[in-house]
Amino acid sequence: MQMLGRAIIVILSLFLIPMTAVSTAAIKARFADGPNRVFSGGPLESGNMHVGPEPDWRFVNDLPTIEMQLLNPSLSRRIWTVEHDGSIYVWSGYMGTTVGRLWKRWPVQAERDGRAIFRIEGVRYERQLQRIQSGEILEGIAAAITAKYPSQTTRANIENGDVWLFQAMPRD
Amino acid sequence: MRKFYLFVAIALVLTVLIVAFVPGAADTVERIFQQYLGQAAR
Repeated sequence: MQMLGRAIIVILSLFLIPMTAVSTAAIKARFADGPNRVFSGGPLESGNMHVGPEPDWRFVNDLPTIEMQLLNPSLSRRIWTVEHDGSIYVWSGYMGTTVGRLWKRWPVQAERDGRAIFRIEGVRYERQLQRIQSGEILEGIAAAITAKYPSQTTRANIENGDVWLFQAMPRD
Repeated sequence: MRKFYLFVAIALVLTVLIVAFVPGAADTVERIFQQYLGQAAR
């Protein structure tokens, strides 16, 4: 019995080492100007703020990811994006799984307070995220997503809540 | 066990220092974690 107890202690102790590495990397990311990969980064501070008319968002279709920060909480992450019919969209998958819901907390936060800042090619854009849950437009957006990314996003995925989709509208 | 605990304590301190200060270490940790997380969320 004592051997079993020691074995458990040894296993847990060794497990602590990678856990510490992950925790340290996650904490370090919070102090950065923007995100790196999966951990949330700090606020997007560098880069000029866009002023003037809405840009032609089609250029984001050539970019793999953009940086997005919510104002509340002021954390940033790297995220996929697509332009469709003149508007820019972001989304989160895995929202139908427990791990996904634990991992992806920004969609819930964005639904509560949609104020956001995008940083794209060094320029920051003030945006207002508005969740879209249904409608014919989802067909076109899902097609744009699957054309750009190795994604299986469909209108049905969005309407049943597996994928949370947001339109990033200009902020007044 | 005493030596083992000492080893773990030293390893934890070294882990924090390496990830926090060695260039590229945090990115490597994040990349590996991303792979596991992606698999777990599917």
